[in-house]
Amino acid sequence: MKREAIASLLARRTFLRKIGRAATCAGAIVAAGALGVTKKVAAKSESSSSRGSFPTKDYDWTKHRWGFGVDATKCIGCLRCVEACKRENNVPADAHHFNTWVERYVYLEGEAKARIDSQADPQNIAASGSETEYRFDNRYQDAKVEKAFFVPKLCNQCEHPPCVQVCPTGATYKAKDGVVLIDSKYCIGCQYCVQACPYGARYFNVRTGTTQKCYWCYHRITKGLQPACVEACPVGARIFGDRNDPQSPISLFIRNNRVQVLRPETGNAPNVFYVGIDKEVL
Amino acid sequence: MPKHIVRLIILLVASGAIALIAKWFFTVESFYEYGHYRANSVPEIAAQEAVYKTARYCQSCHSERHAQWSASNHKSVTCETCHGAAQGHPEKGKLPIPADTVKLCTLCHEAMPGRPGTQPQIQVAQHSGGQQCKVCHNPHAPKIAAAAVKVTGDVAAGRQRAAACASCHGAEGISPNDTWPNLAGQSAAYLARILAAYKSGDQKDVVMTPLAQPLSDGDIRNLAAYYASLSCRTVPSTTRIGNAATGRALAKNCASCHGDTGIASNPAWPHLAGQKAGYLVNVLKAFRGGLRKDPMMAAVVRGLSDADIDNLAAYYAEQSCQPVTESRKTP
Repeated sequence: MKREAIASLLARRTFLRKIGRAATCAGAIVAAGALGVTKKVAAKSESSSSRGSFPTKDYDWTKHRWGFGVDATKCIGCLRCVEACKRENNVPADAHHFNTWVERYVYLEGEAKARIDSQADPQNIAASGSETEYRFDNRYQDAKVEKAFFVPKLCNQCEHPPCVQVCPTGATYKAKDGVVLIDSKYCIGCQYCVQACPYGARYFNVRTGTTQKCYWCYHRITKGLQPACVEACPVGARIFGDRNDPQSPISLFIRNNRVQVLRPETGNAPNVFYVGIDKEVL
Repeated sequence: MPKHIVRLIILLVASGAIALIAKWFFTVESFYEYGHYRANSVPEIAAQEAVYKTARYCQSCHSERHAQWSASNHKSVTCETCHGAAQGHPEKGKLPIPADTVKLCTLCHEAMPGRPGTQPQIQVAQHSGGQQCKVCHNPHAPKIAAAAVKVTGDVAAGRQRAAACASCHGAEGISPNDTWPNLAGQSAAYLARILAAYKSGDQKDVVMTPLAQPLSDGDIRNLAAYYASLSCRTVPSTTRIGNAATGRALAKNCASCHGDTGIASNPAWPHLAGQKAGYLVNVLKAFRGGLRKDPMMAAVVRGLSDADIDNLAAYYAEQSCQPVTESRKTP
């Protein structure tokens, strides 16, 4: 009995000694590691200064501050923007996922609240004939309409984006030129950002397992093109440009109109500016 | 310090170190470069290829169509809005030409509450009687420009001036042969427009151009008024071409401008009823070949075969132009 106890004590002592040695080794590695980290930091600061323009050689993101305008008084609800966006950005071809979408607000005579529908409404899907084509049906043609208008919606690329705040992996972030981007390689699909966005601008793509949203066609604007929806809009209801340039369409739009943003009370400071909407639009 | 506490501290430091090393090992190079994200993901996103190529891309090959479109009031509707994204074109094949233009055009032009008043809108059921929009409207230049201009001229002065035209177009505006058009009873607005086009060089013809150039604007008005005042006659054609019955079916596509039997609804467009078949064939072929330029006619004749043209000409040549000449006589 006693001998057994001694044997177990001996075993414990050997084990602890091993741990001790391991700890010493670890200490040495820490020292080496610290050296490595400092080296790496040095390397990083080197690379960013040697890069010149970032993210591409023709585009420097520190020189731009993008802004987006929506003139709801011009929108005709043709949904060409939605169609263009779907193709451009590989958005799932169904009636439930949109980077940008259009809402219709209709006030009938004697009704205080607006009737709201979008291209995802079943009646509108029936009018278009398929979930991959988009059109508004003419359901109010015989109704007594007091006021009606269309409102295009998209990601507001907020100045203080709550979606970025909640992302646990750094997969979404605000670029230096103001666009909120998603790194699909780092997105783990937790959908916390989908919940955080007060505008419903984000959705989860089941096929890729990541979150998706409008990013003002970052691949186009960095090449000097307009976002696909702006390009497609036949009536100029969507305005895009660089706010650093006082003569850009968006700067003129903001200067010459009384613009408003959606849900200003959230403090997100959106960067999509609206003209021609009323208090029902959130 | 007791030995076991020292060991515990060493243990904690070691695990902390392992965690740090693991983080250093697993964090990619560009993370933290600009913030709590992977900086390399920005060029990755920026490198995606654009799917919509813009009208400038289309212009490099379709320059003629581009010129027409960019001068029209449809210039805000880009090529790819109707024809789809140009990525992969032309390497991977053609882009679609929309077949159902009613469906396409009404996306923007169907009258609907909520659309601003500045947007041209139509009551779909009453506008075209189910015809395709492109029958009358050229999608690349949709506005029907030839709005009727009221032409008032001096018929007597026109009669004097017309003496020079009689050798080809006949003393009473009924041409003696099959190649030259009848002018009697033709709408004055159309005649004036065409003469002005010959004069300005917008339309060219070996015979007509030198004859029209010396005409003053007043001469053109007088001539137009004179020929419009004459009464037309359907003269049986000497050459027999085409099949009028087949032509009748084809002519449905022309009816919204030129009328069911070739009596145009709008004085800006020519009457075709009783016109010379040979002349109609030549004109349609000239439109098809681009020798005569008119955006709308170019669009509608593009798909016509030689046989179609013969049949259409035969149909219009044998229609009676008489019934409406009475109402047409008023200048």
